[in-house]
Amino acid sequence: MVSVINTVDTSHEDMIHDAQMDYYGTRLATCSSDRSVKIFDVRNGGQILIADLRGHEGPVWQVAWAHPMYGNILASCSYDRKVIVWKEENGTWEKTYEYTGHDSSVNSVCWAPHDYGLILACGSSDGAISLLSYTGDGQWEIKKISNAHTIGCNAVSWAPAVVPGSLIDQPSGQKPNYIKRFASGGCDNLIKIWKEEDAQWKEEQKLEAHSDWVRDVAWAPSIGLPTSTIASCSQDGRVFIWTCDDASGNSWSPKLLHKFIDVVWHVSWSITANILAVSGGDNKVTLWKESDGLWVCISDVNKGQGAVSAITEGQQNEQ
Amino acid sequence: MEELDVEPPLTLIPGVDSKSKQMCFAWAPGEMLVYETLFPKECAEKRPGCPNIFIVRKDKDVYSQTLRKLFSESHGIFVGLQRSEEELGGKSRKAQLVRVSKNYRSVIRACMEEMHQLAISTRDPELQCQHSTQVCILSAMELIWNLCEILFVEVAPAGHLLLHLLDWVRLHVCDVDSMVCEVLSSENPSKHKDFWNAVDIFVLQGRMDDARHLLSKEASANPTSMGMCKILDDLMKKMPILSIGNTQTLTEMELKWQHWHEECQRYLQDGTFSSNLHMESICKILLGDENAILEKKELMTTWYHFLVTRLVYSHPTVKPVELRFYAQSSLDLFLGGESSSEPLDSILMAAFEFEIHQVIKECSIALSNWWFVAHLTDLLDHCKLLQSHNLYFGSNMREFLLLEYASGLFSHHSLWQLGVDYFDHCPEYGKVYLELHIERIPLNTEQKALKVLRICEQRQMHEQVRSICKIMAMKAVRNNRLGSALSWSIRAKDAAFATLISDRFLKDYCERGSFSDLDLIDNLGPSMLLSDRLTFLGKYREFHRLYGEKRFSEAAKLLLMLMTAHIAPCSFWMTLLTDALPLLEQKEVIFSAEQTYELMRCLEDLTAGKTDNQKLQVDDVETTKVEILRLALARNLARAIVKEGTLEGS
Repeated sequence: MVSVINTVDTSHEDMIHDAQMDYYGTRLATCSSDRSVKIFDVRNGGQILIADLRGHEGPVWQVAWAHPMYGNILASCSYDRKVIVWKEENGTWEKTYEYTGHDSSVNSVCWAPHDYGLILACGSSDGAISLLSYTGDGQWEIKKISNAHTIGCNAVSWAPAVVPGSLIDQPSGQKPNYIKRFASGGCDNLIKIWKEEDAQWKEEQKLEAHSDWVRDVAWAPSIGLPTSTIASCSQDGRVFIWTCDDASGNSWSPKLLHKFIDVVWHVSWSITANILAVSGGDNKVTLWKESDGLWVCISDVNKGQGAVSAITEGQQNEQ
Repeated sequence: MEELDVEPPLTLIPGVDSKSKQMCFAWAPGEMLVYETLFPKECAEKRPGCPNIFIVRKDKDVYSQTLRKLFSESHGIFVGLQRSEEELGGKSRKAQLVRVSKNYRSVIRACMEEMHQLAISTRDPELQCQHSTQVCILSAMELIWNLCEILFVEVAPAGHLLLHLLDWVRLHVCDVDSMVCEVLSSENPSKHKDFWNAVDIFVLQGRMDDARHLLSKEASANPTSMGMCKILDDLMKKMPILSIGNTQTLTEMELKWQHWHEECQRYLQDGTFSSNLHMESICKILLGDENAILEKKELMTTWYHFLVTRLVYSHPTVKPVELRFYAQSSLDLFLGGESSSEPLDSILMAAFEFEIHQVIKECSIALSNWWFVAHLTDLLDHCKLLQSHNLYFGSNMREFLLLEYASGLFSHHSLWQLGVDYFDHCPEYGKVYLELHIERIPLNTEQKALKVLRICEQRQMHEQVRSICKIMAMKAVRNNRLGSALSWSIRAKDAAFATLISDRFLKDYCERGSFSDLDLIDNLGPSMLLSDRLTFLGKYREFHRLYGEKRFSEAAKLLLMLMTAHIAPCSFWMTLLTDALPLLEQKEVIFSAEQTYELMRCLEDLTAGKTDNQKLQVDDVETTKVEILRLALARNLARAIVKEGTLEGS
């Protein structure tokens, strides 16, 4: 049974574009067209406004929490072409870094797996993707992939950290050789996979299947299997699940999850990657599970007036 | 693929404008966030919408206070079952499994009782409704579990099967006792309006002794019917029943039963009971007359009661495989096309048909949390009843359900600990699920962090150990608890971080002239070797200790070694040399000539290393310090040479 257990009144004065819970589910960050980023403490069903961060000069599109081992850090990106990294220092939230290297709206930000360090990927409408790496003492190193997607990049999503070779017995203090990868989706209808080689980012794969702008990509968390999985959704109403079986990452094959009646805007995996949530123009959020190779819709979260009514869980065959 | 054609359930979120806006979401650990938004993301003119973020949860039962007991107690039973001896063969294994099943059921009953108490004691009507509903659900769960126990765990054979089913019906269906109490406590029991109902229900439930007892009341109150009562009483007494432990075979039983049946038939046909409708109907029931039994629908209340009654009086030696036919027809006859069956009915029917997978599937759909199906399926798996082929979601059924249940537990601030054990017993994905979930446990206090850490360490989850220690270390640094930060980074075996913290310690020392957390640094032991800086910190502190204990020559040797072996960072050499001053100024010569030469060389290395620019910027304090050092070293050298020369001389 799905039920609403808490309602947080953000008091945003304009449309909300993103809401993200922190790692532990104790804090909620929201951002809006009213140019603000707000942080709430939502423990025990309550809501306490901790911070109202101003700094952007346009609608803020996304927020992303960094891994707690780096402290309380939040990144936000906006129409004003800026990416701001906020940090909680001595109980107060402040701007700790501002990046202005893009020529138009920055649409998406995503933190890399914590094993790689503190690295932020940003996708922009200018077609470029920037990678900001924290090197210490308030310094950030920038790497830019220009023309990653023609017309614009709409989404970025990191692959989970997997160490090639043996994970056991890494000598302490020595950094294992991670192969860093992330996926991006753009207005060229493509999903691209980027790999870091010799400190440079190279385009490793191009995934073609959509017939219109790719709106979101989401790389699934790893559950120990050798397969990699990416979900993508597009203006063309389709959601694809891409899987790659070998470690070399060479052959990706798409499977159509569903063709929706309208644009699909957002896809996201649950923590254990067993459920994919999809949000689309059909005004619903649907939850999907894989069942013997088929994707099955297990729940429909709809909006509407009136009382919350939930029926018990069921399964439906894919048509 | 055998699937149910059930629509995915729809959940409506109030307050969100469905006409002009869309809905977006985000995952949270344990929950989901839903909010109203507008796609595409545009900078249109101000269109404020619903400013609310809705936090939505799937398993809200996890937070129920009363169900908590259910979860924690069943956890104990579950773990016990996993660890139980599998080598016990045949009968003893079965007995063990039946015991486990009964334990689960008593936990459900205890929970039900508590819930019931809450329901009757609360004044809030809404709460009362909630609790009552919960009681109903728990009651249904126990009913289903009990039936599954009889059919699948106990695997009662023909004969015993019916006895178990009778017990089941008596325990769960319709409350006879209150009605009977009322009847017996009245002045004239046989005149009570419910008298015959009471007799009927006893007969329907095969409780012959109770029925006879009531019948005797009628006999004594109404002499005219005494004759009939006696005959009926006799028939009831003579009814052959198979009791557990009875050694007669089924064939013997069937024979006896046939004779008895014929005797009842004779009395009925002779019209013995024709003057008393009640007794005639009872006789018909004894003969297994379906219509007669059906007339007492209101008393039986459910089709499965009807089923069992039918079997008692028409086929007491029914075999398990034959149940399905009787079950379906009983349901049809009982409902008579008026009402449709409910989820509970389908579940019970599936059980009577021995379709275990169907039972589990239907239960998964009907119940709001995974507790029931997870534990029941696990038990059935131990009974070796589940086929191993892959079912719904990739991994086998048992594991799938346990994973779902345990994942739900992790969204609770303390029940997550139970979840750990469940994951432990999921061989395929348990470990990785645990890894992914345990990272999300908020580490609010040091105790909680240690608890989580212990769990990870016990399971060789090294990545998670490192991650947790790192998080705690960072938190400690931010709160200026350097000692705590240091011990966390040692535990994480994080050399880089240990270096960072050691530097902080040293910086603090330079500023304040003393160390904090001396205990920790003094007892570093072999972990000192984690990082060079840490080693230096430890050794430097040792130097201070030696000095404090007036073991000057040892202190001196150590100090020198710190520089010559390059354990000390160059930035610290000045401080070390300054520390050497008091040793140089002692009345007694501590540094030997050779050591003094070494010290001088260190000093020269230090000053020579600076570029011209730096030399110009060196302030007066620095220059004075260097000069004082040079002077002290020179003086010491002189005294040392003299001392050494003198000793050698004599």
